[in-house]
Amino acid sequence: MRASVVGGSGYVGGELLRLLLRHPRIELEQVSSDSMAGKAVTRAHPNLRRTTDLRFVPHGELKPAEVTFVAVPHRESMHRMPEWLARGGIVVDLSADHRLKDPSLYPQYYGVAHPHPELLVRSVYGLPELHREEIRGSSLISNPGCIAAATILALRPLVASGLVDTDRPVVVDAKSGSSAGGSDSGPASSHPERSGSMRLYAPAGHRHTAEIEQETGAKIGMSAHAVEAVRGVLSTSHAFLRAPVDEKEIWRVYRAAYGSEPFVRIVHEADGIHREPEPKVLSGSNYCDIGFALDVHTGRIIATSAIDNLMKGAAGNALQALNVAAGFPETMGLEFPGLHPI
Amino acid sequence: MTECPACDAHVECAAMVAGEIFPCTDCGTELEVVTTLPTAVQLAPKEAEDWGE
Repeated sequence: MRASVVGGSGYVGGELLRLLLRHPRIELEQVSSDSMAGKAVTRAHPNLRRTTDLRFVPHGELKPAEVTFVAVPHRESMHRMPEWLARGGIVVDLSADHRLKDPSLYPQYYGVAHPHPELLVRSVYGLPELHREEIRGSSLISNPGCIAAATILALRPLVASGLVDTDRPVVVDAKSGSSAGGSDSGPASSHPERSGSMRLYAPAGHRHTAEIEQETGAKIGMSAHAVEAVRGVLSTSHAFLRAPVDEKEIWRVYRAAYGSEPFVRIVHEADGIHREPEPKVLSGSNYCDIGFALDVHTGRIIATSAIDNLMKGAAGNALQALNVAAGFPETMGLEFPGLHPI
Repeated sequence: MTECPACDAHVECAAMVAGEIFPCTDCGTELEVVTTLPTAVQLAPKEAEDWGE
């Protein structure tokens, strides 16, 4: 399958290139970047030295491909998507511009009205664990946000099972590494400012709130923190239960949802130093690890989920969705298990 | 085949002997084989906090 990447000079673009260059059924033909046009892709992604001779081309020089991965910033994709769709093939959009089904949420969360709301009907929310059948045959796949992907995978089975009291909000406390801010994220991510910090950067109103509510059906109150890490998201969701449950019931719910899923693992072990999900050991892998605890004192369940934000939170999930859409084995090109220690 | 008493995971211990201790593959809880015909397991005893005193 012939592939191109639009906007390949950022961290998500680089992770896509790393995966696509080693995928046995994909031939990466073009990578675009207006700011780096003409330069070798290894200038932006030195880990790819000796794996490719590709050079960045301007967006306007992209030829039609069988799959186009779009890794441009939010609010840019929504204007140019008709042009990319007209080239044919499958488009996988890694921006937020086609995630929300309700166009009225775009002014609230992204500050602009959506110029092509008809595409929000056409797009599929590209989380295979929830929308596998819709992804098959789709030509517009919208990749989830990183914090959203982790949180949705932990919360959705609990809400769908009826165990959670959805008359009360679910409080989500998310921590993310600096790469989630992108390669051009400004002074907040410079080393002197970021190193050693534990910063509450979005106490309320985080953009991913909208897609978590859309995909779980729960009312979400989320706070997001920047922590001392390059990769990783750890999401901790606090939900109140309708009635007391025991741990075996939670195991049953998660096994029913994810027992046959290739990239979701339930991590809730009795002993050891890695009893609950931890993003660090997932670096470079496409896994989402989910754990839980019960607080009998307050009738609360605490659901935690960990991912690599650039993998299951971006490029890895995008390739997983493409594998589904194209009829390839779902795990193809995504078998790397992560590193330990790291 | 029997169930882990902590998380209800299916655990296989037919090839083990009574008294053998092994971890549940899902939750990691240490289990002790009580009998093999039929198979039955229980939570393995843990060291108490005053172990050795």
